[in-house]
Amino acid sequence: MSWLGIILTFSLVDNVVLSRMLGICPCVGAPRGMKSALGVGAATALLMSVSALAGWMIQSLVLDPLGVGFLRTPAFVLSVACLAWILEALARRTAPDLLRAAGFPVAGIALNCAALGAALLVVKGGFGALGSLVAGLSAGAGFFIVTVLLSAIRDRLEVEKVPEPLRGLPLHLISAGLLAFAFVAFDRAFLARMLHGW
Amino acid sequence: MKSRSLARRGILNGNPVAMVLVGLCPAAAVTTRVIDALWMSVGVFSVLLLTRVCLSLLSLLRDGESAGPSADLRGGEGAPRIRWLGALLIASCLTASFELVLLAFAPEESASLGIYAPLIAVNCIVLDRVEPAAGGKHIPTALLDACGLGLGFAFALLLIAAVREVLGAGTITLFPAGTFGGTIEIPGLSSAPARALGYAGGGLICLGYLAGLSRLLRRRPVPAAEEAGTA
Repeated sequence: MSWLGIILTFSLVDNVVLSRMLGICPCVGAPRGMKSALGVGAATALLMSVSALAGWMIQSLVLDPLGVGFLRTPAFVLSVACLAWILEALARRTAPDLLRAAGFPVAGIALNCAALGAALLVVKGGFGALGSLVAGLSAGAGFFIVTVLLSAIRDRLEVEKVPEPLRGLPLHLISAGLLAFAFVAFDRAFLARMLHGW
Repeated sequence: MKSRSLARRGILNGNPVAMVLVGLCPAAAVTTRVIDALWMSVGVFSVLLLTRVCLSLLSLLRDGESAGPSADLRGGEGAPRIRWLGALLIASCLTASFELVLLAFAPEESASLGIYAPLIAVNCIVLDRVEPAAGGKHIPTALLDACGLGLGFAFALLLIAAVREVLGAGTITLFPAGTFGGTIEIPGLSSAPARALGYAGGGLICLGYLAGLSRLLRRRPVPAAEEAGTA
């Protein structure tokens, strides 16, 4: 797959949130406000890209040479958790406001789900080191886009009159579903046209 | 009485929609067929149960020891973090075992669950009560709590799968047994299903409406935290 193909596939066509349903929790559960959405989106995107690279390293440098592929899940889970902690510590040093705005620890379970999913997806794609990093970055970018879009939708929903039982989380999920249908436009055919001319 | 209420807490009352929803999100990706949801539920249920039991046993062990090399794990700033890492390790090893069992006995199912089987390890439901479970040394209590939560999760997942498969494909896929091929076709729906429900977007919308429905059925005021979206 070409570089553009990898970028488009992981960010738009196979969007982690809308097509893989990973990391919906930070997406719809993040506290309101565009600033916190930007923070959560950026932190998760960064974690996803680092995790994808770490996943490639673990798979091809440790698990495959030793022939212990069945240990993939524990190895990935622990590496993603450690990366999340490192990232959190870095964020606490450099941008404590951002961490406070995000409202929950970056090492939270929710983010691990998206990051672990990204690592698994990228390893499944069978790319090289650079390919994995690019795929992880693209997946992170896709997550970032969706978080920001959903945050904007939620801000609008706050002031709308909506049926009471649907207020809050249910409506956020429905909005995400409608957004997912909008993203169906970015399908394989779209990708093929982009790559091979219209 | 207490144990019964504990089990019920997970299935009915204390099954906070928000929490189950959060746990459902990654799992809901495999609800296009009832059989996938069934296997996913089995996976989450067994991993949840065994993780809780292991954590309870571990906390017994930890408290049984007097001051020793692990003394600093009990107190200190890093204690919850180490405990959390331990819980993650246990959950992920159990998940890996589940994956291997699935690969051995139901290889097609293993392929169809794909990356979602490893994700059981970081499912919010499995890890949600790590701290209380680590503190709760009473194993039957932990077991009952896990059973209630696991059954509640399975019920919700199967409900979503049933709605999505019946409306989205007009079929119900189960185990093939004897002359029964494993797929029930619903007359009328299987010829003209609402295919949109088979997409991830349909799944999310279905999840949203079911969450709203369950809230309506309970007729409870929306908790402030949930309304604020900090699920």
